[in-house]
Amino acid sequence: FAGLADVSISEDIPVEGEITIPVGSRSPDEDYSTLDEPVRDTILRDLKAVGKKFVHVMYPKKSSALLRDWDLWGPLVLCVSLALMLQGGSADSKDDGGPQFAEVFVIIWFGAVVITLNSKLLGGTISFFQSLCVLGYCVLPLTVAMLVCRLVLLAGSGTVSFIIRLIVVVAMFGWSTLASTAFLADSQPPNRKALVVYPIFLFYFVISWMILTFTPQ
Amino acid sequence: RRRAVRGGGRRCGSLGPSPLTGSPPQALVDDTEDVSLDFGSEEELALRKAKIRHPLATFFHLFFRVSAIITYLFCDWFSNSFVACFVTILLLLSFDFWSVKNVTGRLLVGLRWWNQIDEDGKSHWVFEAKRVPTIAASTEAEARIFWLGLIICPVIWTVFFFSTLFSLKLKWLALVIAGISLQTANLYGYIHCKLGGQKSISRGTSKFSVTDVPKRQTGRVSEDRIEEHGKTGTR
Repeated sequence: FAGLADVSISEDIPVEGEITIPVGSRSPDEDYSTLDEPVRDTILRDLKAVGKKFVHVMYPKKSSALLRDWDLWGPLVLCVSLALMLQGGSADSKDDGGPQFAEVFVIIWFGAVVITLNSKLLGGTISFFQSLCVLGYCVLPLTVAMLVCRLVLLAGSGTVSFIIRLIVVVAMFGWSTLASTAFLADSQPPNRKALVVYPIFLFYFVISWMILTFTPQ
Repeated sequence: RRRAVRGGGRRCGSLGPSPLTGSPPQALVDDTEDVSLDFGSEEELALRKAKIRHPLATFFHLFFRVSAIITYLFCDWFSNSFVACFVTILLLLSFDFWSVKNVTGRLLVGLRWWNQIDEDGKSHWVFEAKRVPTIAASTEAEARIFWLGLIICPVIWTVFFFSTLFSLKLKWLALVIAGISLQTANLYGYIHCKLGGQKSISRGTSKFSVTDVPKRQTGRVSEDRIEEHGKTGTR
């Protein structure tokens, strides 16, 4: 800076400029500021994300959208509707299938947590909540199966209805398992894929079993 | 909104010689080019004086939490059905979690936290605190309500946990555990934001995370547009 010692700025020159506090990175993200957006935008955006994921489950292909943006709203809604449909008995008595309702809830969430822990212990690269998200969303085909079963049971509960229910449940079980392994197995090293797929298979098997053996009182 | 600042500050123009140039304000600076004050309108004045600037957000912050607790305590009066109570309380807890995390936190105290997955599949928790006060920024009263609501409710749910456990009404246990985890998650996230915000250097926003925030397709992540005089929040 020695050479600048004799430089002086003429006092007639007005000095002006802009004073702004530089923010982290002035990237094109300025259009995406979600801090001040109206609440309705936030709600709509989250709803759209949930809807997109449902579509992804129905047509499973290896896309990263399901994994990048996890959310647990879908699993919550599916879990509640499945548990509601699986409870037996009338809804207004004291003994109204309360334990079964909480049971289904606990099985689904606890099962999903155990599978996630298992895949993490096997060295998977997927994060805890992503895995919960995928497993929860892939319960969708089984929820559809439950709906179909209840409708079929309204018509009658003979052998024919059992066969129909069996076919539907097996098909949806296969769909669920395939959809979730399409997303989850990729995160594992190749020699461990079977070890990861097996608990998922069990998990959906238990849920399918509950659906198939459901009889309304 | 950026304004060119001349000489001695925002309210210059007719304040005499500007300190930087040491001479009377130039012909460049005349009265029509005065920087106008941001806060002249009556609405904004009223907003600044109000003790609670976001009444709707404050209401909803407390509404879902308190209704969940009340429903849990008095579910026998409302309905005989365990399932209906369970589902109602669960939905109230979920709405509460979502609204506190996404809406009331940023409106009432200017804090935000979220989780982000990068391309490697690693998950990062990002905590963000807004530093520059705006006209519609939160007041003391709002911040106090926010923190009280955030802290007291998980404590109440923990009390419920022990009472359920010891009275052996185990079918409610799943619900109480869900309540505790959802509310504690929010509490933990916001405390993290708050503590991190106090430690950081003075920047427009203080943001501390493992990596820089990349631009995301869905736009859930954002940079704050914090400028010299802040920004009026839209609500």
